Amino acid sequence: MTATVLPLPRRMDVQQAREDLRRRTLSEIPRPLDRLIYLASMRDYNTGFYHHDGLAARFSEEVACEALADCHREVFRQLVVCSLEDLVKQLEAYRNSTHTTPREFLTAWKRLEPYRVAVPVETDPLSAEFLFSNFKIALAILEARLHSLPQGSIA
Amino acid sequence: MITLIFFLFIGGLLLLALLFMARRSSKAEGDAQVLLQARQALDALQSGLLPRELVHRIFAREDSDYVATQRSKAVEELFIGERRKIGLAWVNQVYAQVSALKRFHRSAARFYTKLSPRTELEIACHFAALTVACRALQALLYVGGPFVAPRVVAVTATAASRICTISEQSLAFLNPVQLSPAAGHSASTEG
Repeated sequence: MTATVLPLPRRMDVQQAREDLRRRTLSEIPRPLDRLIYLASMRDYNTGFYHHDGLAARFSEEVACEALADCHREVFRQLVVCSLEDLVKQLEAYRNSTHTTPREFLTAWKRLEPYRVAVPVETDPLSAEFLFSNFKIALAILEARLHSLPQGSIA
Repeated sequence: MITLIFFLFIGGLLLLALLFMARRSSKAEGDAQVLLQARQALDALQSGLLPRELVHRIFAREDSDYVATQRSKAVEELFIGERRKIGLAWVNQVYAQVSALKRFHRSAARFYTKLSPRTELEIACHFAALTVACRALQALLYVGGPFVAPRVVAVTATAASRICTISEQSLAFLNPVQLSPAAGHSASTEG
């Protein structure tokens, strides 16, 4: 991300693009966790730049990239300061939306820790570690609940 | 002979001038390093470590209460361990960043800003208070866990914020805002 420098997009354009992204796309995604995962998926792992064809067509590649990065940082900040209870609820709702079984989901998330690649670049390390730690605890809570259920009731 | 002495004298002067300049440039480089570290420390504190919501969340009692309702010993142990780890990392990082600001105030600040003796004394008191608070908090986190000392957390965060406010003024001359007309011009020519 730091190796290549984007041309400086105009601040107003980025602001408009951000509003456009919030109105058309992010408002349709109800939870901050889902928004974080969506925005992280818009980022190219090889370059660190964000891509969104619709937004780039309306503005420009650079402006779209900046707007997506801004929204990503904003959602990250929301998620870092949300309570553990809220995070557990969001994680459970997200799991339901993926149509996987609770066991499959928990196994995959505990092994792969996909949340580690979902944080914005240049995030403060302590905030990132704090969020990872909360994910770990939230997964442990969901797992404990799963074990406390009778075997037949697990989907 | 007189010409030789004259040229030796000139040569000696030039050598002295070179030595003087070499010393000066290495000092300037050192100062720049201290300035850079101070600016980075200030940014790390203000945007990463001291936002009120983050500090509140790390040491939030309601998370502990919520975990207690889960009735799982393993989850409770994991939670306490994780929060203790994050709490200690927070104190250590606050202390490390404030130490960078302390180095700046001890070595370079007076060359760039006119601090009154009263302000310097105030800064020294804040540094001392913060050092004591950080050490106390580290010990309390080790011994009593992450939720044992909310007041010490508050004192630490407040003292660090005050140091940030004073350091912000001392480092104000580095702010890019002062260059805004030139920046605006280059941006307009780019588009």
